[in-house]
Amino acid sequence: MPFYPDQRHLLEATTIRRERHLPEFTAGKVTVAQNVSVNIREIVARGSIASAYHIIEAGQSVRLKKNEDISEFLLVDLNQIVDAGTPLAARPKQRKPIVAPIRGKVVYASGSRIIMQETSEEIQLEAGVEGKVVAVQTGRGVTLETYGTLVQGVWGNGMLVIGQLKMEPEEGLDHIFGDALSMKYRGTIVVTRRALKETGLVTMVEQGIIGVIAPSMDAALIPQAQAHTSAVMLTEGFGDIAMSALTFNLLTKFADRPTTLDAYTPSRWESRRPEAIVNPSSRAGEKTAAPKINLALKVGMQVRLTRMPHAGKVGTVINLPKSPTLLDNGLRVLCAQIELVSGERAMIPLANLESFGQ
Amino acid sequence: MSVNRSGSILAVDFGSVMTRTVLIDVVDGVYRLVARGESRTTNDYPAHDIRVGMNRALQALTEVTARRLLDEQGKLIKPEKDDRSGVDFLVTTASSGRSLRTILVGLVPDVSVASAIRATAGTYVDVVDVITLADGRDDQGRLNATLLNRPDLIFIVGGTEDGAEAPVLELAQGVRLALSLLERDQRPSVLFAGNTSVQPKIEALFEDFAQLFIAPNVRPSIAVEVIQTAQRRLAQAFDAQRSLRGGGFEHIGEVSHAGIQPTAQSYTLLANYLGETIRGKGVLLLDVGSAVSTMSAWLDGSVTTTIRTDIGLGHSAMNLLNQIGEAAIARWLPFYPARDEILEYVLNKTLRPATIPETPRDLYLEHALLRAGTSAMITAAMPIWRKTVSTEGDMPPFNLIAVAGSGFTRTGSAGFAALLLLDAAQPTGITRLLADPYGLLVALGAVARVNPTIAVQVLDSSGLEPIGTCISVSGHPTPERTVLKVKITLESGEIIKQNVAGGHLWVYPLPAGQQAELDVRVTGRDVHLDGKTRVRAKVEGGAVGLVFDGRGRPLPLALTPAERAVQMPLWFSELMRLPVSEIDPQWLVAPAAPEETPVAASRKKQEKKRRQPKEKKPKEAKPRRGRRGAEPEIDIADEDRFDISDIEDDDQRDSIMSELDELRR
Repeated sequence: MPFYPDQRHLLEATTIRRERHLPEFTAGKVTVAQNVSVNIREIVARGSIASAYHIIEAGQSVRLKKNEDISEFLLVDLNQIVDAGTPLAARPKQRKPIVAPIRGKVVYASGSRIIMQETSEEIQLEAGVEGKVVAVQTGRGVTLETYGTLVQGVWGNGMLVIGQLKMEPEEGLDHIFGDALSMKYRGTIVVTRRALKETGLVTMVEQGIIGVIAPSMDAALIPQAQAHTSAVMLTEGFGDIAMSALTFNLLTKFADRPTTLDAYTPSRWESRRPEAIVNPSSRAGEKTAAPKINLALKVGMQVRLTRMPHAGKVGTVINLPKSPTLLDNGLRVLCAQIELVSGERAMIPLANLESFGQ
Repeated sequence: MSVNRSGSILAVDFGSVMTRTVLIDVVDGVYRLVARGESRTTNDYPAHDIRVGMNRALQALTEVTARRLLDEQGKLIKPEKDDRSGVDFLVTTASSGRSLRTILVGLVPDVSVASAIRATAGTYVDVVDVITLADGRDDQGRLNATLLNRPDLIFIVGGTEDGAEAPVLELAQGVRLALSLLERDQRPSVLFAGNTSVQPKIEALFEDFAQLFIAPNVRPSIAVEVIQTAQRRLAQAFDAQRSLRGGGFEHIGEVSHAGIQPTAQSYTLLANYLGETIRGKGVLLLDVGSAVSTMSAWLDGSVTTTIRTDIGLGHSAMNLLNQIGEAAIARWLPFYPARDEILEYVLNKTLRPATIPETPRDLYLEHALLRAGTSAMITAAMPIWRKTVSTEGDMPPFNLIAVAGSGFTRTGSAGFAALLLLDAAQPTGITRLLADPYGLLVALGAVARVNPTIAVQVLDSSGLEPIGTCISVSGHPTPERTVLKVKITLESGEIIKQNVAGGHLWVYPLPAGQQAELDVRVTGRDVHLDGKTRVRAKVEGGAVGLVFDGRGRPLPLALTPAERAVQMPLWFSELMRLPVSEIDPQWLVAPAAPEETPVAASRKKQEKKRRQPKEKKPKEAKPRRGRRGAEPEIDIADEDRFDISDIEDDDQRDSIMSELDELRR
């Protein structure tokens, strides 16, 4: 029976389809049409988060009779946004009309009641990638299609930035801590192959680095990373895990290229992942297939090992035994025999292997 | 017992991590489990469609049975064809995905609303607000509660059958007004299970306005509660919400019998069946999953089901840590966890929920989470159970505990499941332990909706995997002194005698399918087996056999890692009948205080400096920094760099920095 490992994409050239949706519970409007091309910063949808409602008992003020309805005496339109103090309803020649207690939208007028909703903060949704709108989800967002290099991570601090990709200096990101003269990294997304430390986070601020792609980070640094306005994406996990050579080499290849770093924080209810998309220099005629969904584990496949003691390492499947293997810890589970880059061979549970995609 | 063949059945359960399939058909005149398959659930990236995982699991079934289940287009063949390809019925359950955000609306919190809360047990419901006439809110408060909580469902109850109608209608009209402010496609569903005489008016209010479900009054009188139909309607609402959220659920719901049912309802149904069949004191079904954990307990004729979306070993591992705290997990570790080790383990598990531990240390961490989570779940349920049975602090005497979830059942050895259950659930008296590694209980609960007889036949014929029977002493046995005098009479007539010492476990490997007569005497002060000092019983074997637990209840788990490093490997070796695997001495070295990072050191120095009185600098000498992005780019070669961190004196460094800023400008 084939085993289909999890896929965490590391693809040099692929077609990428991404949904860009307004946050859940946001009432919104899509601002682009299907089949149009959009640039990275283009607004594809606008929305507003639900805000509080106010019930205005208008019957007495307007001296409504039994067979009358407040809508007959409305001085504003339904769905009109009005300022606080704006007259809302009155009888003809009534001296003191009932006025809006807040700035907001008049959403209801019936019987003796008027209901207003406070104006809420507008959310603007950027495309985030340079591509084409292939589908529109009315009121929610769009599906965009682009072509480029895709590097997916496991965790992000919730920020999305667009900038030039830079590799860290030989000595590491921490080495430029306190170095006031280095302008080379300002406004860029820096790739480090070492675990991100507190000094790295401080360096980001001091050097004006807008994003970091790191393999791992101390869990204790999460609040600090989340407070950053720069983006932080981890490719391997929490702790002290080095970046796999495969990931680092691919990113090195695209140094100095404009990159979208969507450091999305994984959520239990969303299937979105943090990822870096390196936009192509020219898209003409370079369209490739989308990643394959049914990618069964097979001998010769390159895989990422996700658990200690091999977390972050890359290896090649050399054997797929049919019966379970007894691990050092006493568990007996289905495993694959993996040859690591170092030549070391290990039996790794199938559940702990990730495919890079095709 | 044989039945007329009413058709082959395929049961599919969509869990957060695994999709499990079970094929049931008539074999030799009786419905049996024919085969089972599983694959990863695929509602996440990159497939975003649960049908992909289901089809993989069905292909696995086809490989085992040579029975074709999918057509050329990859669609399920239904009904069954003459060549025995396909199936007649598809029943589906799901525990994956978001819970149903629900607002309860009722008259009085202690009566109808309390019944409504009980009705929600068994469905993945997250009660986000309760609106009652007594909640102290005005119309505006209730309107905002209804709209700003963004519910998927509004569950209206209230009024006994001969009670007043007006207050119920008033609340319903408030709901109607709130929903009228939303677009049609954004309106939540409405379930009404209140005073039947109000029903026509409720229908008039909500029909063609929102999706409406009607159930009989959950509280027809103060003394009577009727929640079964309301539970079924909640399941329908759950199915409707799943279908709306896409991911392939909408297609599966269309072709399956009765739509997609909540997995937890299967446990409720089966707990009731097993309880009534065994007619013992209690039955406990426990499933610790990745995102959700479910526990159904049958005690003295009534079932209580607990669903915990904050307890899980994968998706919910972080919620579990937040819920119970690191100390509750660390108390199950035979070593000092390094700084943030538990947090990092949990975070990585949440990021990759399907992974399994490879090292002994990671396995201890994983099982500590499982033990602590299970224990928390049971502790929270105890007050409800104690309303039914008197337990004097211990676990109620369950005759049968069936356990599901990969953490317990997919270890490759039933011994792990036995030890984890004994530690975390701490059963008392004589308890039969069963494992359900392939989700058979959930499948049978769903099948029971098609034909209950089929579910009973499959359970009787194919059953669950027996782990064995445990005999657990309550009280505090004296360590190393005999607490149990055991006499086992095998079916062959052979007699085995053994004394079990306090603080120890002893296993007699009675295989599955074999029975034995047991005569156990308890010795020592204040120790007993379910209140008795001598017990005779017929017991059944299993993959582990008969487990005699002389450790006592509550479990005397040592307080220090060093003591646990002796205790836990010993218990493991006694249960697995393996040599003791000693804990690495390095693990017992308490972690040193964290090293000071350069940033922390710099901050500390600055803090110290700030506290010292000093001369105020002239304003112009203060270093001025440009706003991010405002300065021009200056390219400076690496070799020309000047590292100011080499300068130790803060004042001197500040002064140089201001000069450098001037230069840059």
